Amino acid sequence: MSAPAPAPAEQSSRRLRFERIPMRRIILIVLSVSIIYGVVAGSTATLRTGVFTAEDWQSLFINGLARGSVYALIAIGYTLVYGILFMINFAHGEVFMAGVYTAYFVAVAFAGNGFLNSNPLLSIAILLLVSMAVSVFIAVLLERLAYRPLRGAPRLVPLITAIGASFFLQYTFRGFYGANVRAYPTIEILQGKWTIFGIQMLKTQAIVIVAALFLWFLLYLFVARTKTGRSMRAVGEDREIASLMGINVDRTIVATFAIGGALAGAAGILYVFLFNQVIFTMGFLPGIKAFTAAVLGGIGSITGAAMGGLILGILEAVGPNLFLTGAEVPSPNQLQPVIAFGILVLVLIFLPGGFLGASEEKRA
Amino acid sequence: MRNYSSLGKLVLLLMVFALIVAACGGDSTDTTTADTGDGGDGGAAAACDADPFGCVEVGDGEAITIGTLLVISGPNASLGQDSQNGVVMAADHLDGTFDGTNGELLGHAIAFNHQDDGCSAEGGQAGAQALAADPSTVGVIGTSCSSAALGVADTILSDKGIAIISPSNTGPALTTPEEHQAFYLRTAHNDKLQGAAVAKFAYNELGARTAATIHDGSPYADGLQAVFADTFESLGGTITVREAIQVQETDFTSVLTSIGADSPDVLYFPIFAAEGGLITQQARQTDGLADTTLIGSDGMLSADYVAAAGEAVEGVYLSGPDLSAFTGDQDFYEGEFKTAYQELWGGEPAAAFHAHSYDAANMLFDAIKEVAIDEDGTLFIPRTALKDALFATSGVQGITGTLNCNDLGDCQSTATIAVYQVVGGNYDSANPVYSEVASLDS
Amino acid sequence: MNLRSALKPGFVGGIVVVYLSAIGMVERFQDRNVITGLVGLGVVLMLVAFAITSYTAARKSDSSLLTGVAVGFISGAFVAIVTMGFEGLINAGLDVRGMFVSITPGLLETLEFGLNPVVGAFMMVVASTAVGAVSGVLVGLEYHLRSAVVFAIGITLLMSLGEPILRVTLGNLQIPTGWLYELGGLTIAGTIIVLALAFGLRWWWMSRADTRREAAAQMPEATRRTWGRASLMAAIVALVALPWIVGPFVSDVLGTVGLYVLLGLGLNIVVGYAGLLDLGYVAFFAVGAYAAAIFTSPASFLVTEEGQQFAEAGFTNLWVALPFVVIIAVVIGAAIGAPVLRLRGDYLAIVTLGFGEIIRTLVLSDWLSPYLGGAQGLTRVPAAPPSSFDLRNPQHIYYLILAFSLIAAYISYRLVDSRVGRAWAAMREDEDVAEAMGISVVRYKLLAFAMGAGVGSLGGVFFAAKIGSIFPNSFGLQVSINVLAVIILGGIGSIPGVIVGAAALVGLPELLREFGEFRLLIYGAILIAIMIFRPEGLLPNKRRQRELHEGQDLAAVDLTKEGPS
Repeated sequence: MSAPAPAPAEQSSRRLRFERIPMRRIILIVLSVSIIYGVVAGSTATLRTGVFTAEDWQSLFINGLARGSVYALIAIGYTLVYGILFMINFAHGEVFMAGVYTAYFVAVAFAGNGFLNSNPLLSIAILLLVSMAVSVFIAVLLERLAYRPLRGAPRLVPLITAIGASFFLQYTFRGFYGANVRAYPTIEILQGKWTIFGIQMLKTQAIVIVAALFLWFLLYLFVARTKTGRSMRAVGEDREIASLMGINVDRTIVATFAIGGALAGAAGILYVFLFNQVIFTMGFLPGIKAFTAAVLGGIGSITGAAMGGLILGILEAVGPNLFLTGAEVPSPNQLQPVIAFGILVLVLIFLPGGFLGASEEKRA
Repeated sequence: MRNYSSLGKLVLLLMVFALIVAACGGDSTDTTTADTGDGGDGGAAAACDADPFGCVEVGDGEAITIGTLLVISGPNASLGQDSQNGVVMAADHLDGTFDGTNGELLGHAIAFNHQDDGCSAEGGQAGAQALAADPSTVGVIGTSCSSAALGVADTILSDKGIAIISPSNTGPALTTPEEHQAFYLRTAHNDKLQGAAVAKFAYNELGARTAATIHDGSPYADGLQAVFADTFESLGGTITVREAIQVQETDFTSVLTSIGADSPDVLYFPIFAAEGGLITQQARQTDGLADTTLIGSDGMLSADYVAAAGEAVEGVYLSGPDLSAFTGDQDFYEGEFKTAYQELWGGEPAAAFHAHSYDAANMLFDAIKEVAIDEDGTLFIPRTALKDALFATSGVQGITGTLNCNDLGDCQSTATIAVYQVVGGNYDSANPVYSEVASLDS
Repeated sequence: MNLRSALKPGFVGGIVVVYLSAIGMVERFQDRNVITGLVGLGVVLMLVAFAITSYTAARKSDSSLLTGVAVGFISGAFVAIVTMGFEGLINAGLDVRGMFVSITPGLLETLEFGLNPVVGAFMMVVASTAVGAVSGVLVGLEYHLRSAVVFAIGITLLMSLGEPILRVTLGNLQIPTGWLYELGGLTIAGTIIVLALAFGLRWWWMSRADTRREAAAQMPEATRRTWGRASLMAAIVALVALPWIVGPFVSDVLGTVGLYVLLGLGLNIVVGYAGLLDLGYVAFFAVGAYAAAIFTSPASFLVTEEGQQFAEAGFTNLWVALPFVVIIAVVIGAAIGAPVLRLRGDYLAIVTLGFGEIIRTLVLSDWLSPYLGGAQGLTRVPAAPPSSFDLRNPQHIYYLILAFSLIAAYISYRLVDSRVGRAWAAMREDEDVAEAMGISVVRYKLLAFAMGAGVGSLGGVFFAAKIGSIFPNSFGLQVSINVLAVIILGGIGSIPGVIVGAAALVGLPELLREFGEFRLLIYGAILIAIMIFRPEGLLPNKRRQRELHEGQDLAAVDLTKEGPS
């Protein structure tokens, strides 16, 4: 029983009506004009009050760049998996948590015997390795046990599985390591500030930004130049044809999860440079934000994910103070999610595929 | 298939027979207990009949059931888990030692019915309904969060005549005449006391004239900062800005930059360990806050916070119950109790409220001892009498101070609020820098 | 038999038990009695893990007994070795609990059955081998017998797990439970009775299977229809009588399940019918709850004077407020929907998630706290008149939720084959084709959003009425995720599926309330397991199931399709 087509007369009249009154477009225009007006008016009002100095804005910007770098690295994991499996790996935030939380115990052991500060570079390298190894392990295990049986299932099914895996992993690690928040030991050489190009910044922030840039570049080369990278792109384009071309699809997918996991593990260590504490729920919020960043940049695009992460980070750091302080909104920083998601909506209304995403026609 | 059928019928018949026999057996034992009740001197029966909510009956060899309704899942889990540990330790210590096994009360074991309040109204409702539905629940220690209690758990349990004692609800509304429920008590101190004491400390002792506050959207922090701000302003100080953060966030530099624009003398952020630790660190890196004194409250009065804040914690003030005012119990707390806590739970306490829940459980045990009627090994605990005994608690030394319950259920109605300073990487709970006896009645 | 084939399942069993121990489940669950005085839930958990692995392995093997024994032995040996290893590490002075907080002396004691380590290890191997042997024997049994045995054991476990609810329910019916339950577990006599009864019933049921089938086949159409009607009536009578049978606590759980049924039905229109993935459904739930509270609470800004905390009464009562709340939600639903209708799939998902977060942040914010209460929430939502129908009483509000769920279910049911429903189906299958066919995609998407919003806001109204005080943290992402999980678990697009999904995801976890710290772990595990073993959901919509199983051509739907075409 197929739906009977509407009578031609009715059809044309409806067409006409909608063309004459493009309600949707009017709503869109009103909405975006009012948001833009709010942003501009708020910003000028804030700047006119002069509450914040130029240094303040600089440091907020650097800060946003640093946290955005962490989001970017996690977001790349989302985007890689999405690029070849077209699924949102909701549990990716927990992959990030698993690595850095496990590395915590190594860090404590190192701090206990003084190794951490006598050999800081070596210790950081070991921590990075441990964190990445654990994250890779969890990511691959997740693919093998939870996602592989679902290849070919409707898209909502792996989404729900991933949400289940997210809870499962969170509470697994709560069971292992406890419910308390734990503080990473301090690494002496990372303390203090540097002045780069006349801008004062924390050493940790500078390192995080540079490291994230480096990792992104490495990944870019990997995907563009290596055989595995090419297979990943091929599998993303068309799995069946890729497999006909002699590409081992299973192995490529595992490699994708492993790379995403490794980046999440590295992001974990960078994260504790900035925020130096770990708890079993720590993956959830960065996970959601990285997911947002990936969509903002155009999900499926690696550069887009990196860009989305940075933009989101800067928006979060600068936005509330810039847009809302002048408007005399109480507790502007509490409204940070409103700003972040509000901008996301605005961007997607005009660029439905995100900044660097494929156009919607191609995706549909 | 006929062979199955006949065999099946036979089995069925046997089962039904067995069921009837067993059911009758169950019935007959029930009538016997009722008979002993009537056949005795009438003490228990009369007391139970007179009590509008009747008695909890704990048969010979049965355990006394204590409910807990604390947050044991989600991001606040460490708060509730810590309080739950305190309750379990109180039962453990009934025999005078912490040995990992529950002591006995009036010759009966203690059994727990642990429920999760989820730190939310709906969690409080589901958990309270579960506890209220179990007729063997004698009393409840909970809830962790005010939102789980206010108009939810306090009402549901009071309607059933089940006493509920909260170790960590500090919201003022719970014990206002308009909102207070008949069977609700708490060993946590009312925010009104603590927020005001901190404001007085900041204004009078530190000489602060400008202050900023941060809350995390929890009713606890929001309530405390509101009381603090009101008191501080009434003393003559100025509140430069009142800010708020989102829980589970980690980067607070933009909040702190905006607060730092006014360089207040004091920053009061009565939140919890994780976010509190990060704010402490990030405030030290904010230019405008270089000379600002940081003050937190008992949500952060824990080893967790001190660890989470790292080196930046030096010099931070934390308010909380005055543990030094009771030297006798102080030795017990610092010595025996804390050692046992570490042994039993494998780490330092994650919050301050295990002490309040330990006291709450002991209050409940004492009240049970006072009102329970023992007849041939069966305990009869009249519910209203139990509540009255709890409300009559006065002058009892707990590890959080002297417990004096007032008519509205505040058992810290007169509390000594102390402010500690972190020096040399830890705060010394035996030596507060400031201490003030505050009373709700004044 | 190939020994190597036993190696993998053996290790899997061992790893599962070690895992359950290391997350603290075994030790915590041991506090709950299964058969009082005989065995606790922690040990049962271990034994069940051993049994399942050896049973599955034995089924695949041609010599089942040997395989079962081998798998059991390997699993037990693995666990015993790991236990002894930890014992050794602790004895060597290593602070194992500094990392794994759940490896406690109490856990090791449980794993060693309270004996000394070596004897305990031996016991563990003996126990697991015995379980393996029993599983092996079971596989070898004749089908009816095996099925009855497994059924009996399963029912016994369920009876024991369901103790908190069953004991209270039976007590409510004045049925004595002393013979059955003791200290939170089954009595030994009770266990024997339950085992025998379940075994007998199952046996009897299976023995009559053929007769039943015959009778059903011979039944004339009219009789069958009468039977169908009668069973529907019986179901309705049972639903109506339920709260008074089960008492207030279970009624409260049923009320919560009902709320999720209502929310699920609403989201089902958006996701199931129209194919729009919405991860922010909580927004409408929040709008409903807050609007209801503002209209009815005496603490609402509509009625309080400056500086006054409570007014005499709320602005109006719940019944008057109800239609206005729904209208507000529908308008907000349409307003949220309008700008984002061009987005598809995952882009829409993240935007709706964003709207959910925006609404939660706004109700929490200091900015709007004079109107919405901020962190302190809105309290004192009054029960509605007449006062004899007390909305705060779980047995009463159950009926309200039931009634509205039935209405929502009926509307959903009628929608499927209506003109609108067919338009949605066409849109879901292929938006571009639907548009080309003259279906106004924008209008039907908006309609779906608005209807979903209306139903969701009803859920919010009843939530506010049921609890009486609302706080922002009740409206987090978790609610959206729960509702989505409910409809997908039940079978997307299927109305009975929503009910089953809500019962499974919202009702069942209540059995394990006392193990709150593991609730979300189990929830996650259930989600993964059901999606892997039954991706179409528990009670799937027949048409969707066909789509799923006939491959990609029929399932050319943005959401239900895998990958781009």
